[in-house]
Amino acid sequence: MAAEGPESPVIVRPATQRGVARDRQPPSRLTHLLLLTPALLVVVGLFGGGLLMGLMQSLGHIPAAGLQELSLGHFKGLFSDPDFVGSLNLTLYIAATATLIATLLSVGLALVLVTLARRHRLLTFLLQIPLTVPHLVVAVAMIFLLTPAGLFARLAVQLGLVDSIQAFPLLVNDRWGVGMIIAYVWKEVPFITLMILSVLQTAGIELLEVGRTLKAGPWQRFRYITLPTIFPSLSAAALIVFAYTFGAFEIPFLMGRTYPMLLPVWAYRSYSDVDLMARPEGIATGLVIAAVVSLAIVLAHAILSYARRRGAVL
Amino acid sequence: MKTSPRRPTRYPCLQILILLFLLIPLFTTPSLADNWQKTLAAAKGQTVDWFMWGGSPAVNAYVNGYVADALAARYDVKLRQVPVKDIAEIVSKLLVEKQAGKNRDGKVDLMWINGENFRTCKRHGLLHGPFAHQLPNLKYVDTEKPAVKNDFGEPVEGLESPWGSAQVVMIYDTARTPEPPRSVAALIDWIRAHPGRFAYPAPPDFTGSVFVRHLFYHVAGSVDAWQGDFDRQAFAKAADNTYALLRELAPALWRQGSTYPESPVRMAQLFADGEIDFSFSYHQAEASKKIHDGLFPDTVRTYVFDEGTIANTHFVAIPFNAADTAGAKVVANFLLSPEAQLKKADPAVWGDFPVLEAGRLPEEWQQKFAALERGPATLPDAVLQGHQLPEPPSEILIELEKGWQRKVLKAQ
Repeated sequence: MAAEGPESPVIVRPATQRGVARDRQPPSRLTHLLLLTPALLVVVGLFGGGLLMGLMQSLGHIPAAGLQELSLGHFKGLFSDPDFVGSLNLTLYIAATATLIATLLSVGLALVLVTLARRHRLLTFLLQIPLTVPHLVVAVAMIFLLTPAGLFARLAVQLGLVDSIQAFPLLVNDRWGVGMIIAYVWKEVPFITLMILSVLQTAGIELLEVGRTLKAGPWQRFRYITLPTIFPSLSAAALIVFAYTFGAFEIPFLMGRTYPMLLPVWAYRSYSDVDLMARPEGIATGLVIAAVVSLAIVLAHAILSYARRRGAVL
Repeated sequence: MKTSPRRPTRYPCLQILILLFLLIPLFTTPSLADNWQKTLAAAKGQTVDWFMWGGSPAVNAYVNGYVADALAARYDVKLRQVPVKDIAEIVSKLLVEKQAGKNRDGKVDLMWINGENFRTCKRHGLLHGPFAHQLPNLKYVDTEKPAVKNDFGEPVEGLESPWGSAQVVMIYDTARTPEPPRSVAALIDWIRAHPGRFAYPAPPDFTGSVFVRHLFYHVAGSVDAWQGDFDRQAFAKAADNTYALLRELAPALWRQGSTYPESPVRMAQLFADGEIDFSFSYHQAEASKKIHDGLFPDTVRTYVFDEGTIANTHFVAIPFNAADTAGAKVVANFLLSPEAQLKKADPAVWGDFPVLEAGRLPEEWQQKFAALERGPATLPDAVLQGHQLPEPPSEILIELEKGWQRKVLKAQ
């Protein structure tokens, strides 16, 4: 027993050394890889695998249905269909308009809030609420508010603004997608605002004060100090919002017109068609959406990393 | 011992008579009741694997609770529900088994099917039977009625046993429309006379699609012509006329037909909000349910067209290689019993409508069905069952949906 006594600290020491070493050095490449594996497996396996299978099916390879050969026919068919091109344009229009309006509103809101929010935490909290509301709920709520039988129309009649609910302008299932744009703007403004707000708050007011000492007017301070500061996160946030609105299904399904339909609805319709032959077309539509969305995300990433290299505050 | 050899000589006539009586059964078929007794005996101790869509908690509770308990207690048959997402998966599995020559001891004893799946099964010989006529309780069903005799245009021919029925009913508000148009022709006139007050969900939505089929039957002037094999040229002509009528009606629809409700839910909401004056449903008790939920006012009622509305029957069938056919028949028969159908019709249990013809039931059961509280807007069984039109084959159904997209929706 006595002989074992001095040995025990020896056993303990390597552990201590290892602990110290961990503090001093960052984990090795291998540890990195091991830690990332579970997440990578999910992302690459499920998402990448799904995308690849989708690509195969859109090229016409569905062995279960006896469709074997590969061809670009479904993509060609889509782009030669005037209805598809119309839907693509409509989707681009809705996504771009909603993003643009949301971006402009967010910049204004963020500038007002950056001074207020510091004193009123409640404001920031209120701003976070729409983030948690699902798009589906927003769509249903907007239908209740904006349709001719909705709350606003009834209120307008009560106040004598319009003669009858029939005279209330069409805002849902309408030609210009006004309802959809309103729904998206309501949902995305808080997201973009919070993104810029965090930049504005970390940037502080020093630069602006410098600007003021140099006699820069409010517009000049915004144009040459604030805008360059927020631009990277603003454009990244806008591109993310654009990507989302371009690919989202719920709002156009509930608030869009039966025809022409937005691309996500088109993809859903083709994919759930009783005719199995319509499936490749549905997946091809999905891939067109995925391509546009990926492009937006890659652009967002490129802008952010470019800005980071130039040492912008993020 | 002494007398015995003399017996034959003493009563020869009697003996011959007895012999003749004993021979009678050999020349006549055994009665239905005898056969059924044999089936019951064979079914004892069997476990019936019932493959069915398992997406409704109410249906699952009814099957696993009430039905399974009763079968175990009364017939010593164990019912095992095997929930599936889509019974079509099972049909393709059976098809593979058929091709592989697996003709016995299949896993599936009973399946809940209708429409397209039944057609596939029938055309490929995947079904056991005909067996429906062996079920004693089938006597309560009017199997000659087109909506029961055919399953989406495919003659049933005893290869499946009816279980329940769904039927289209028109929904209106007596406070707004005291005298609703009681035929498709009258409805068309009504729509023209009341622009903007009618809408139907855009096909391929199931409910919107069945509305188009009502107009198709009206335009074609016949229902029976489309059952079984139909004349393709006549169909193309009738379909084109239907699209022409729908195009012509579009400006008189809600929003001038520039857009359509995407679902029956939305149509019901428009109706409740007073934007349109009619709704309709492929479920007979939908309006009562909505009144109960407070979504429709109490003055809402339903009606069927004088010429009838489209109905479809859902069935159970036994696969060709089922291991426990006797047990499966006992289950199918029990499902048809007045007792099980009454339980199923209770809105608190499931609310599925009976396939039993009210007039064929014993008096006491008629009263029990009549006494079942189904809500203020639901029509009595006799009215519903007296106004049922069959569904056309799914081929027609699909073609009408596609044609609507091409020639009505995009032609505005």
